[in-house]
Amino acid sequence: MSFTKVVITGTGAVCAAGMQPQAILDTILSGQSAIGPIRQWDTTQWPATQAGEIADLDPRKLVPDRKLHKLIRRTDLVGLYAASSAIAASGFVAYRDALAPDQVAPYNDRTGAIVGSGGGNFQNQYDFFPLMSAADGDLPAFGRELADNVNPMWLLRTLPNNVLGHVGIQYNLKGTNACITNHSVGGLLAVIEAMEALRAGEADRVVAVGHETPIEPQMVLYYHRVGLLAKNTLRPFDAAGDGSLFGEGAGALMLETEASANARGAPVIGAVLGGGYASEGQGLLAIRADGDGLVRAIGMALEDAGLAPADVGMIVAHANGTRQSDASEAAALRTVFGSTMPPVTGFKWAFGHLIAAAGIIETVVALAALKANVVPGIATLAKLDDACAGLAVSAQPRPPRSNVALVLCRGFAGTNAALLVRTA
Amino acid sequence: MSPPGHSARGLRRVAVTGVGLVTPVGNDVATTWDALLAGRSGGAPITLFDASGFSTRIAAEVKGFGPTLVDDRKLLKFANRSHRFALEAAEQAMRDAGIRPTAADATRWGCAVGTGMMTADYDDLAQTHAHCGMSGELDPRRLLDDGPANDPLVFCRGQAAEGLALLTRRFGIHGYATSVHTACASGGQAFGTALKLIRRGRVDRVLAGGFDSMISPIGISGFCLLSALSADNETPQRASRPFDATRNGFLLGEGAGFVVLEEWDMARARGARIYAELAGDGNSLSSYRITDSPPDGDGPIQAMHQALGDSGATPADIDYINAHGTSTSMNDRSESAAIRAVFGADVARVAVSSTKSTMGHLIAAAGAVEGVVCALAIARGEIPINANYRDPDPDCDLNLVVDAPRRQRVRMTMSNSFGFGGSNSCIVMRHPEEVDGRDGSGAS
Repeated sequence: MSFTKVVITGTGAVCAAGMQPQAILDTILSGQSAIGPIRQWDTTQWPATQAGEIADLDPRKLVPDRKLHKLIRRTDLVGLYAASSAIAASGFVAYRDALAPDQVAPYNDRTGAIVGSGGGNFQNQYDFFPLMSAADGDLPAFGRELADNVNPMWLLRTLPNNVLGHVGIQYNLKGTNACITNHSVGGLLAVIEAMEALRAGEADRVVAVGHETPIEPQMVLYYHRVGLLAKNTLRPFDAAGDGSLFGEGAGALMLETEASANARGAPVIGAVLGGGYASEGQGLLAIRADGDGLVRAIGMALEDAGLAPADVGMIVAHANGTRQSDASEAAALRTVFGSTMPPVTGFKWAFGHLIAAAGIIETVVALAALKANVVPGIATLAKLDDACAGLAVSAQPRPPRSNVALVLCRGFAGTNAALLVRTA
Repeated sequence: MSPPGHSARGLRRVAVTGVGLVTPVGNDVATTWDALLAGRSGGAPITLFDASGFSTRIAAEVKGFGPTLVDDRKLLKFANRSHRFALEAAEQAMRDAGIRPTAADATRWGCAVGTGMMTADYDDLAQTHAHCGMSGELDPRRLLDDGPANDPLVFCRGQAAEGLALLTRRFGIHGYATSVHTACASGGQAFGTALKLIRRGRVDRVLAGGFDSMISPIGISGFCLLSALSADNETPQRASRPFDATRNGFLLGEGAGFVVLEEWDMARARGARIYAELAGDGNSLSSYRITDSPPDGDGPIQAMHQALGDSGATPADIDYINAHGTSTSMNDRSESAAIRAVFGADVARVAVSSTKSTMGHLIAAAGAVEGVVCALAIARGEIPINANYRDPDPDCDLNLVVDAPRRQRVRMTMSNSFGFGGSNSCIVMRHPEEVDGRDGSGAS
């Protein structure tokens, strides 16, 4: 089956390791993790204290339109920033604005946005605390004094699809769209769905975005209580690995049909070759030890792209640092790649787990790494865990085997996604 | 010529073979349908909590829920109210379809759901407030020994992916599983996603639906602050009156709607009862304002055009539009303009009703429940009424089904869902005999 070719004409990313894809890659290559002590609240006596926070996050630097700041959350700020970066790099706005007036509306109708977003967060709910204090446990009083104590825009600030709505308004995008609230796989699934929308002719251009800022007290505490967080360091596939750590940020890719990109001579960074997706259906937190869902997702992505395992030049693993996920991921990679495994790496050790943004920011960084002809090392890897034997990982940078990267992503509810991209 | 089971565009066709509903007017399909035909409103004073201090004290609650088909207590302890509705409606749909995933075909089953925004449970939040937030701000140190903040069950129930986790576990679904949220368009977008998954050949069958419950102090607060709800507290059954000149906001509902979707030939091969073909999907952004559609219908118009084109239909083929029809001033005006723009002269012929007049607005579940309504309208040859319509609004000059349901052949339906954030979803369904020939056997 031959598909419409889907090309990448712009990328954007922001996380603790930097505000541009290249800067993030440079941090990773330096071997220094951007994860450090949480600064947003005092973590004295906390059982979990480390995360990849964006230092000195300045809303005005991320989203110049200050009127918007009252209507959105921290997670939306980073999402809009990454989306704007990818859109700016692609140059489609200037091209559209120079079109004949009667061609602008059809162009907008053929331009879409697909976003992977974290669902709710907890901090927004605390906006009700002053009201609860005023009502003193009396629900009728809570109702009566509501309007005096809570921002009238509270619900709008809380919408999980805010980045979708606001990126649409800012750039006048009118086409196909979705907001995927699928835990960690949301961002990578946004890329896969954007690719599919372009292949199916539903749109000519789609910006794919993933964003999340999970570093808040109640979220950190829950992840700690269910046993997912490391004490100090995120060490994927390592014998001393003891869990994951949060990061925050966003990634975005401007995807287009080749025809749309060629029409304005757009800079083509690379192409999206294929995607795969499968679930294990074992519950919210359960993962199968044999990596079944991931094996099927990778197989589907390879088939979709018409590639063999030997064609893959590097693998960006989910590598989240939890023992169960790492071991089952290693099992999946052994099953699919066996002795033809290309260099395997992961990026979460350097900026943390961005949840809904994880897969998409790692795709953006993978493209930068392929362009630089390097598979960055996992600097926190000291001794490969026995359960991860056979995995082609290294603490040192290596050259990729080809210009094709396989990006893997896994989330709650046993969901697994795989994406194949290549550089131009 | 297209191969059998493929549309004129060469795409795999998709059949609706099972339906399930939990709504404010009935906890199953039959009860809900009777109420929709009669226009029996589910609106009433709120009983789930003491709403006496709120500006809106009415809603359309699911009533007398239980005992349920799903009684797996291990599973249910992870389920919040909306998840329970989802499990129940999905179980109904699976039983109705007479098929469910097996070990052999689990990877060929998908799941696509429109999930609500999962606002905090009030009692949990009140407990955390009492322990950590009396000053009006969270004291993170006190969170360390707070009850709800250390309870993994509270965490799981509040996760956006929990509904998907419960459904895929309950039914053993191992293919593509996804949860979408575009506010009030979520349910429609879940159906659209499911349609595309089967067309792509990634799966053969999909459990698709939506579920939501925002009838809580926090949920009601969000809408009260925006003045989005009708405050007709003395007349809850008349509060939702879409397209009526006196409409003044929506009636908040809750519940779930699910369908089993199957690749057409596989459904036929096993002799499944086919309610309708899920024929087309339209999906656009208004990019106007976060809460409103533009008065001229720009945005919804594109979604409706796309859905018609995607299903190989023209306005003349559509016999029934299940409108988004929220009963807010802006939506109903904008949607009417969009319907007029798309249907032209056919606007006088095509029957329109908003079943939100009866069920209220089920938010993330709305598009899914209303998709089920369309499948039933086709299968039963009955069109539910737009209840509570009395005073015509010249801006909403549509062929509304008022007073009595219409009994007629329904060849094709359209269901609109427009969400905060500007996402517009439009779903088109087709009578199975319009696919296979008049006898419906496929042997024509």
